[in-house]
Amino acid sequence: MSGAAEEIASRYRGMRGDPLTAPMPVSGDAIRRFVQAIMDTDPTYFDEAVAGASKFGGIAAPPLYPVHAFRRPGGTPDPLQSVQDDPDADGTAGTDAIGFGLPPIDSPFKRLLNGGNEIEFFRCLHDGETSVARARYAEVTVKEGRSGAFLLVVIETEFSTTGGDKLLLNRQSLIWR
Amino acid sequence: MVDAPVFEDFAVGQAIGPLHKGRITTAHIMRWSASVENWHRIHYDQKFATGHDGLPDVVINGSWKQHILVQLMKDTLGPSGWLWKIKFRYRKLDVAGEPITALGEVTDAVACDGLGFVTCCIRLEVADGVLSTDGSALGVVKLRGGRAVSYPFVPTAAQALLSLPAE
Repeated sequence: MSGAAEEIASRYRGMRGDPLTAPMPVSGDAIRRFVQAIMDTDPTYFDEAVAGASKFGGIAAPPLYPVHAFRRPGGTPDPLQSVQDDPDADGTAGTDAIGFGLPPIDSPFKRLLNGGNEIEFFRCLHDGETSVARARYAEVTVKEGRSGAFLLVVIETEFSTTGGDKLLLNRQSLIWR
Repeated sequence: MVDAPVFEDFAVGQAIGPLHKGRITTAHIMRWSASVENWHRIHYDQKFATGHDGLPDVVINGSWKQHILVQLMKDTLGPSGWLWKIKFRYRKLDVAGEPITALGEVTDAVACDGLGFVTCCIRLEVADGVLSTDGSALGVVKLRGGRAVSYPFVPTAAQALLSLPAE
């Protein structure tokens, strides 16, 4: 396992994915639904007058919104088809909320744990703007724990606008056991 | 705390929050999952979550919890401040019915190149102070009578050296 795991780590370490562009710009309506779901009543998110007078100059999404901007484009396979076909399907078929264009790591480790995030913010995604993600495997390392070997993976994803303005940098740590 | 806090309003040891979200029910989890189009059944299908995956109930999304910590800092720093850096780690699986509260404490406050930088330890708690998620955050605010925090935020060379505390 250890030699094979080392080979996997070296194969993916430093690998970059192709830039991934959200299928649509963020809309005021999407922001409204989003902030209602996080229960944030800040009027900057939905009141044009308040937002216009703020540093944003208009409606802008919450700082972490760009991470969630990558929705399923129209005309693509329905992930819930799998639930109809297979009672054991978990509903995530064909979706990827962490790789942002990176190929998934093909390894014998199957159990995934979220090791946490470290994020740097530069600006928010404004109403009408589209998010672009550029991801890379910043770290892929085999570690030895009390219950055996595991794979520590850090995916570093830079989110920007299609115009090239940097929005945020997200370093997500993942542990595969 | 005033509406638009400045650097001088912050002191080491000062509490921030609490930001109470109340009891997070299956309806709240469903609303979040739908808003971000996350169709993982452990977040809305109780029979699947408990019977198939062996979980105690449907799971409150980690992706939702991180926004609550961001909101805690955004509200603390006020409309003229900026949450620059944040890191957090999930310590516990939270399930439907648990009440979520975000809170923290100022651990450092320094002025650098005409702006104030406030570091906080932050956490989410469920009932009776049980830790759900913890981390730290670094925010930027103006000095009293000083210049505004730029938007977008671009740190100077000296400011760029400021970092979150190591774990």
